[in-house]
Amino acid sequence: MWSLLRFVSFRHVFQSPLRSLLTLVGVAVGVATLVGIAAINRSVMDAFRSTIDTVAGKADLTVAAETSGFSEDLLETVRATPGVLHAAGGLSVVAPVNNSPGESLYIMGVDLLDDGYFRTYEGAGETNVGKLADDLEFLNSTDRILVSERFARAKNLGVGGIIELQTHEGARPFVIHGLLKETGPLKAFGGSVGVMFFGSLQEAFGKGRTLTRIDVAIDQQVGLEAMKERLQKAVGASIEVDSPDKRGSAVTTMVRSFQLGLNLGSGVALLVGVFLVYNTVSISVVQRRREIGTLRALGATRRRIRVLFALEAAVFGLLGSLLGMPLGVLVGKAAIGSVANSVSEIYVRVNINDVKLGSSELILGLTLGVLGSVFAALRPAWIASGVQPVEALRKDAAIGAGAVEVKAWPTWVGLGLLIFAWPVAQIPPPLENFPAFGYTAIFFILMGITLLSPIVLRWLNVPFQRPGELLFGISGRLAADNFARAPVRTAVPVSALSIGVTMAVTVGAFIGSFQASADKWIEQAIPADLFVTSSARLAGTQNQPMKAEVEAELLAAGNGNIEALNPVRLMAHDVLGLRVFVISLDSSIHEKLGSTMILEGKIPTPEERAKGYVTVSENFSRRRDLKVGSTFVMKTPTGEHTYTVGTIIIDYTSDQGSVILDRSIFKEQFKTDQVDTFHVYLKDKSKLEETRNAITAKLGKQYDLYVLSNDELRQEAKKLVGGAFAITYAMETVAVALALLGIINTLLAAVLDRTREIGLLRAVGADRGHVLKLFTGEAFFIGLTGSLFGVATGGVVGFIVTNIVGVQATGWNFPYAYPWMTAVQMILIGTVSAIIAGLYPARRAARLDVVEALAYE
Amino acid sequence: MSNANANAMIEVSNVVKVYKRGKTEVRALNGVSLSVPRGQFLSVMGSSGSGKSTMLNLLGALDVPTSGTLRIDGKEISRFPDDELSRFRRDRLGFIFQFFNLLPTLTAVENVILPELLAGKSRELLEPKAIALLEQFGLKGRGAHRPDELSGGEMQRVAVARALLSEPALLLADEPTGNLDSKTGSEVLRLIREATRARQLTVVMVTHDPKAAEVGDRLVRLADGNIIGDDAVQAAA
Repeated sequence: MWSLLRFVSFRHVFQSPLRSLLTLVGVAVGVATLVGIAAINRSVMDAFRSTIDTVAGKADLTVAAETSGFSEDLLETVRATPGVLHAAGGLSVVAPVNNSPGESLYIMGVDLLDDGYFRTYEGAGETNVGKLADDLEFLNSTDRILVSERFARAKNLGVGGIIELQTHEGARPFVIHGLLKETGPLKAFGGSVGVMFFGSLQEAFGKGRTLTRIDVAIDQQVGLEAMKERLQKAVGASIEVDSPDKRGSAVTTMVRSFQLGLNLGSGVALLVGVFLVYNTVSISVVQRRREIGTLRALGATRRRIRVLFALEAAVFGLLGSLLGMPLGVLVGKAAIGSVANSVSEIYVRVNINDVKLGSSELILGLTLGVLGSVFAALRPAWIASGVQPVEALRKDAAIGAGAVEVKAWPTWVGLGLLIFAWPVAQIPPPLENFPAFGYTAIFFILMGITLLSPIVLRWLNVPFQRPGELLFGISGRLAADNFARAPVRTAVPVSALSIGVTMAVTVGAFIGSFQASADKWIEQAIPADLFVTSSARLAGTQNQPMKAEVEAELLAAGNGNIEALNPVRLMAHDVLGLRVFVISLDSSIHEKLGSTMILEGKIPTPEERAKGYVTVSENFSRRRDLKVGSTFVMKTPTGEHTYTVGTIIIDYTSDQGSVILDRSIFKEQFKTDQVDTFHVYLKDKSKLEETRNAITAKLGKQYDLYVLSNDELRQEAKKLVGGAFAITYAMETVAVALALLGIINTLLAAVLDRTREIGLLRAVGADRGHVLKLFTGEAFFIGLTGSLFGVATGGVVGFIVTNIVGVQATGWNFPYAYPWMTAVQMILIGTVSAIIAGLYPARRAARLDVVEALAYE
Repeated sequence: MSNANANAMIEVSNVVKVYKRGKTEVRALNGVSLSVPRGQFLSVMGSSGSGKSTMLNLLGALDVPTSGTLRIDGKEISRFPDDELSRFRRDRLGFIFQFFNLLPTLTAVENVILPELLAGKSRELLEPKAIALLEQFGLKGRGAHRPDELSGGEMQRVAVARALLSEPALLLADEPTGNLDSKTGSEVLRLIREATRARQLTVVMVTHDPKAAEVGDRLVRLADGNIIGDDAVQAAA
């Protein structure tokens, strides 16, 4: 077998080096995208998990209320619980670094004396961690911090250096008291870690006397489960007691659909790469019919022929995958920033310095690259094994090549897949935030369209004849004919292109539909003129909450032009297993000046609010099946409270959901009065710029304020969504680029097949221009058809993503809007780039020597 | 014979054609000179490798000689650039090939008018002419058929019609009966002979069938790139 591979197959590879190279590049780019994205997804989760794990240290159990915190008195309760050997309390904040947009420091507030049991801190240079527990300067000052060597180095600071961080009171200087080696907990958050005495941290960041975590070491004889139960009883139901590895599951769930989407996008890139292998092997089978006949005549069995072609594909797959691995690292490095940014902006702050390919990604890439290639070769290999020995003798074996019959079964299977797509899409997801069946339905549609495309292409030549002739003269007419002559082969680049375009239109539809709804929501529900936030343009995961007193300062700074100020808190909080936003605001102002978009129920009155009636977002209600009148429990620092859904509204604050509480109730139950963003309503809207400038001039620097107009806020929301999908644009580009390689591949084969025809055309007077137009015309039709298929399929897939997958993943059900602009753009891009791709084969055809072409067999 | 003759359709003078095949050079034509008057039907015979195909390629403006001059219809074409050769073929020459060489996707009528379409003429003007020509060649009602719906003889008639539609100055035929049975072959030959005689068309036909060669007015024999015989054909068919 190997000798056949060596003597027969490899010679062909070298005889058509360009086609072989295109195929290799196709597989490599597909594998690179897949591997790169998989590595990014893992790195993001690793970064997040390692922060939890490294911070958890040796704790057996953790008592935690990460988002809302609890009173530090609880530490004594925990310590007094029988079976607890050690307990250390702490809290952590993520503080934005002043004058360094987007950068922040993860600060752990610990009691070094207790904490040493769970975590090992190693001093670097002069710093002696052992002495810190008695270091009064460190313990008594609220501005003393230990930072990781990495952070100090990056900031070019040493011991005694000053670093400005954003606190609830604005920017404050902190003195670097010592340096810590990047080991143990200091490896968390990408190494941007600081350590403070917990009391100092509470003071500096306005955390009152709260902790977010108590790490516990237990008496193993009592047993983990028993201890968990005992502790839970001791601390009350409002606080989670769990082993560290269980923590963060809300975040894992939350990021799941985002990551799944990325993985599938990269899967599409590989799919298109595999299409190229199919294309190449099919072409090779057709062009080598006589050779296959000869091999059969010389005694090769059918099985041997099949294995030969499958092996050829496997070699392509293997080489392409190997080439794709290092490329994957590049893909990962190039895209990690964008993904980490989106995850940080939308879900949870992660800090990632590097992306590394692990063995799991390598195995995944290699396996899928090779298996995909072999799978792609199965059908052509089967066709090859059907070649009769007598074909060796047929002089015109190559003539009419490529014209593999359109079989009936792919059409039926294709139709079946399309029909089943819809019911499959309706099946509920097997896991929270894991819309597996929606994606399966999309796969069905893509494959269905691919299988149906040969038969559609065969019909298309007739409607294309007239436009072809009008555009390119007789060459255009011939191009329209030729386009349908080898429909099975032409279907490959057409489908590949259509998949790329489908992706673009789908993403365009989803983003466009969401943005239109979100835009309308901001305009109606929160029509404030200015939005004032500290340390980030949008409140949510990145900003630093401000102290309540900033309200008065703002009013004073506004030069009397402020009609109303609504202090809004957006607190990420785990409710019913989802990390939703608990939004607190002044209901009276909100209801007076904005118009809430109510879906069900009515806004609770103050009396009802006092009884626990709240407003919840549409997506939260859908994800947890809450109706008006349903009750649910929320853990707060003041214990567990039961809430009743008073109204369900449209709210696009978080894709996980929102619970809206009146500020007075929130302050009482959550024991914090900090504010994430102020909604500012102006008296004289024409003086917006003046007011904004006044606020910025007086308070901007101190609090690192971002003051956005309503318009800018909407733009920012758009940017956020656009950013989350930025990487899908890259993947679309990859898919389209691979499709273009497919076009080159297909047309090169067409030039070979039709060499004699080209000679004939030239003999009867066609000049090079005619031939050039003939093949670019064919490329034009491939591009046009692929784009048209894509914008049509994208419309359907976009509908499924918006109305099924999106609803399952976010709980939002916004009206679907077809992205006409994207569709027109993609038709233009698809068609023009196809023509450009067709230029090379067309030039090759035009340059053929007439005499040789006529004599070609 | 080497003198420029105003009445000559073809003037070949001292033409050499050398092909490179790998590292070896093949001298396909070895200083050939030939003059063909207007209206003459010239048959060219020779065994394989004699240079007859090369000769036809040169006369058909598909290729240019390595040295020597080649004048067709008063034009020295041996130094024409590629595009001018294309135009010359389109406007002045007609071709008939052994394998018919019809485009499989076009109908008979479309195949016939193809060269004129390439020249940018309008389909509406050409189609009636083509249909009339096909009728004249016994293909009434077959104009809308595609090549795979036609017999070999019918396909070759379509090819003849294609070659004649643009009223060329010179018709070149490469083994036009090579792929036909003898009865159909002689019918096609008779058709070519009659059609060209009526139009006073100059014809060069390459063949290795002595019977086919007898259809012409004159028979040139080639061997190893040289003319080894040049005789008038005794009895015209």
